Amino acid sequence: MQVDILHIAKLARLSIEEEKMEKFQKEMENIVAMCEKMPLMEGDYTAVDPSHPMELRKDEVRPSLKREDVLKNAPQTQAGCVVVPKIVE
Amino acid sequence: MNYEMTIGLEVHAELNTATKIYCGCRNSFGAQVNSNCCPICTGMPGTLPTLNEKVVEYAVKMGHALHCKINPVSKQDRKNYFYPDLPKAYQISQFDIPLCEKGYLDVMVDEAGSIKRIGVTRIHIEEDAGKLLHDESFSGSLVDFNRCGVPLIEIVSEPDMHSSTEAKAYLETIKAILQYIDISDCKMQEGSIRCDINVSVCRPGEPMGTRCEMKNVNTFSGAVRAIEYEAKRQIEVLEAGGIIHQETRRWDDVKGENFLLRSKEDSHDYRYFPEPDLLTIVIEKEKIQRLKDELPELPNQKLKRYMEGYGLPYFDANLLTENPDKAAFFERCLEKENCKTKNVSNWILGDISRILNEKNLVLADTALTPEKLTNMIALIEKGTISVTAGKTVLEQIIFSDKTPEQVIQEKGLAQISDTGALEAIVKAVLDANPKSIADYKGGKTNVIGFLVGQCMRQSKGQGNPTVLKELIEKQMQDD
Amino acid sequence: MELFEMTAASLSEKLRKKECSAVEITRSTLGQISNTEKQIGSFVTVCEERAMQKAEEVDRKIAAGETISPLAGIPIGVKDNICTKDVLTTCSSKMLYNFVPPYNATVVDRLEQADAVIIGKCNMDEYAMGSSCETSYFKKTKNPWNSEYVPGGSSGGSASSVSAGEAVLALGSDTGGSIRLPASYCGVVGLKPTYGSVSRYGLVAFASSLDQIGPLGRSVQDVATLYSTICGRDPMDATSAVREYGDFAGKMNRSVKGLRIGVPKEYFGDGVDPEIKTAVMSGIDLLVKEGAQTVPVSLPSTDYALSAYYIISSAEASSNLARFDGVKYGYRTEKYTNLLDLYEKTRSEGFGDEVKRRIMLGTFVLSSGFYDAYYKRAKQMQQKISAEYALAYSQCDVILTPTSPSTAFKIGERTDDPLKMYAADICTVTVNIAGLPAISVPCGIASNGLPIGLQMIGPKFSEQLLFDVAGCFENLCGGFGVAPAMKG
Ligand SMILES: [Mg+2]
Ligand SMILES: [Zn+2]
Repeated sequence: MQVDILHIAKLARLSIEEEKMEKFQKEMENIVAMCEKMPLMEGDYTAVDPSHPMELRKDEVRPSLKREDVLKNAPQTQAGCVVVPKIVE
Repeated sequence: MNYEMTIGLEVHAELNTATKIYCGCRNSFGAQVNSNCCPICTGMPGTLPTLNEKVVEYAVKMGHALHCKINPVSKQDRKNYFYPDLPKAYQISQFDIPLCEKGYLDVMVDEAGSIKRIGVTRIHIEEDAGKLLHDESFSGSLVDFNRCGVPLIEIVSEPDMHSSTEAKAYLETIKAILQYIDISDCKMQEGSIRCDINVSVCRPGEPMGTRCEMKNVNTFSGAVRAIEYEAKRQIEVLEAGGIIHQETRRWDDVKGENFLLRSKEDSHDYRYFPEPDLLTIVIEKEKIQRLKDELPELPNQKLKRYMEGYGLPYFDANLLTENPDKAAFFERCLEKENCKTKNVSNWILGDISRILNEKNLVLADTALTPEKLTNMIALIEKGTISVTAGKTVLEQIIFSDKTPEQVIQEKGLAQISDTGALEAIVKAVLDANPKSIADYKGGKTNVIGFLVGQCMRQSKGQGNPTVLKELIEKQMQDD
Repeated sequence: MELFEMTAASLSEKLRKKECSAVEITRSTLGQISNTEKQIGSFVTVCEERAMQKAEEVDRKIAAGETISPLAGIPIGVKDNICTKDVLTTCSSKMLYNFVPPYNATVVDRLEQADAVIIGKCNMDEYAMGSSCETSYFKKTKNPWNSEYVPGGSSGGSASSVSAGEAVLALGSDTGGSIRLPASYCGVVGLKPTYGSVSRYGLVAFASSLDQIGPLGRSVQDVATLYSTICGRDPMDATSAVREYGDFAGKMNRSVKGLRIGVPKEYFGDGVDPEIKTAVMSGIDLLVKEGAQTVPVSLPSTDYALSAYYIISSAEASSNLARFDGVKYGYRTEKYTNLLDLYEKTRSEGFGDEVKRRIMLGTFVLSSGFYDAYYKRAKQMQQKISAEYALAYSQCDVILTPTSPSTAFKIGERTDDPLKMYAADICTVTVNIAGLPAISVPCGIASNGLPIGLQMIGPKFSEQLLFDVAGCFENLCGGFGVAPAMKG
């Protein structure tokens, strides 16, 4: 299986250094090759399991964080907000 | 060359629950930036979502209102993409098993009352994203997470609409239903309903054309403009010998045009997969039924009843059923059974709506009660006051605790129907207008209107015009 | 014997009898940290001040005659992927080098309610991805039995701190073996609880459907005590099971009479070091002599478990780790031209290679056109493996296997070959895939002088049974206590 590592890295918002490219490519293909040894399986897979229903949360307000705590780990803030580079749409 | 357009709509409506969909933060609009946030809705490491029970109930109610099949077993999925307003870098949504599927909506598309059935593919629940704030003076963009995790339902229609009028009727009916079942505030200016629009064109009889999706449509009138624009654009491309590529375009309502956001090749690979932090949503049969039983009469049903049962024209019925409070007020007026249905409708849609619009209020903000309004209308119908006087009475009773009778008393608005008192006025007016009498006798009977007007002026508006008219005619014939 | 070498059970008894104070215990443990930490490197952060404050608080409670919990005053290490309010929580990644959570994980709340003394935040493989504790951005933790060797991973710091006497107990997290593997490499007891029995709220997610927080300690009873404190339904975690739990340590009954021990042949194949096979088999013999019997069972899909594990865990990780983008917390690259550049540079500089590898694998298996061939197939394999376990448990009560096919390896020995590194997990991953509980207990010392671990796997929510069997085994085999080189 050829893995289009550039495409995958782009999807994952990673940039791979030129010199590590080949190594990553090879390692990924080895891992994928290991995974491909898994046999094809019969029967359909559904991700639902009605025997374990989820308990839902009551619609009751709980305290929010103080804004300073929301922002205290942010690398850059201004005017009570997190700052990102200008978005041009 | 003739073209047919095909439209499908994806409506996102914010639900009016007390808390957000996956955390206990307040779900409210207009708070100070980043003040309705917690570790969960800001996507801090280690946090987990817990699903708000009300969100499921509201979505099921909407499913019932749109005649959907309700899935008693469903799940949530992650839609992965990077954007600063999406702090977890995925949106929790529903992919292959939504809460509701395969419904329809009957909408009235013209004044003759013709009904169009529009298929509803699915309704699913998901979380809203935050907001990006742009400031010209600042070199970056600011992120406000308050809206992150506000609950949404996404209602996806079949591509069953073929004109912007049909699309608009569909959108307005959806909005009215949301308000009737009280699950969304539907405040357009706050962005609590938004839609994505799919448009394609084809020649009649030919298979459906390639569709383009338009994002970012915030008003229904904008939706109409966006549809018209996009259909025209596609026809122009085809007429020039071009082909339509499947793409996403962004509607700019200010410029009145759309532009390419991304082509199909650049379309996102969302890598949907089942949300591992949440288990299966299971809704018991009894609960599904209970939510159905709780539904009120819906606006499209009401509209039909108003036209067929009350004999109201489409124009009246449509406006009266537009929102549940207005319709309820109207129906409570009719329960009094002391005045004519059409007159109640006229007052509600006429002067009352005008006053409310001017002051940007709703009925509930006023002191007007069905009792006061129908008593006033009954007094007009009986001739106790004139329609003009009624307008003055309304201005008073709508904002105070006064009854119509009190206002009439205080302002002396009662009509003079006493012939003795009016005869003197008639005599004076006729004496001053000999030319009109001559015209009348010469066959110009329409001078009566002028003479009644003169008498009304003399009586300072209090003369009963019907009585005055009779007196004038009688006197002129007697002369 | 120094205080730091004792078990929680005996320390708690000393406290109750006023034979020592909580401050003395904490001081003793902090003293050991200052003696050994340079050599071992178990912690990213040592919480000296907070620990002393908590110990003083416990002493005040004791002086006031209050009843104290079995963990009161006991120094506990917490893996650095478990959020501690106002205390640095890094996941041993450059990406979170400065992250100070504004909230506590549920397990940390429960520890604090029990008056446990959080002594420090334990080093780990970056984002819990690894089997050796070598991928930490900050330091490589060493095995207290021999510092040329890895402690195992990813909860390497948790295991080494307990083994070195730098903590009496520790919390780790286990996604594919990350508690049991380092427990076996460091000669301590480690439990991977049933999925859903311990709240994941506040555990920085690696693979949400597999992750589980669990205890490590120097005795089965200590591990049972810590488990009793942290388990239970948490409304903040939707995957947390709705059920009642008892006091596991209090109910321990170390008898194995009539116990049916399943021995799956797939776990004793060529890939497993003969010395380990021998040690585990003689361990099983000890239990048979106590009245247990063995039953041959088969888990035929074991060979594919590693593939299913890497696909599922990487898929979830690729999504869970997408939030680390330099916008809200943690590392942000210094120079960037636009948003995309900020994302790519931050993530490329902030994550280590192993994390990148898994994010890419996960992105790949979920990407358009590949979902069915990889992710869906792995989920089907997961169902098959669960079914095979269910069948096995119709024939036996508990399954015994080696915890790892080898003892600890040398630092640097496997860093160049991810597949070789991944092989360390072959005995442990099926347990996570099937959501089962499993405990690793020391069962001997190999010729290289390093500990060997025995793994006991039970059906869902059979922790009590595991404690009973492991407790019986501990009585027979002895257990190790603090690593020989670390003794006071
Ligand atoms: Mg959507
Ligand atoms: Zn929140």
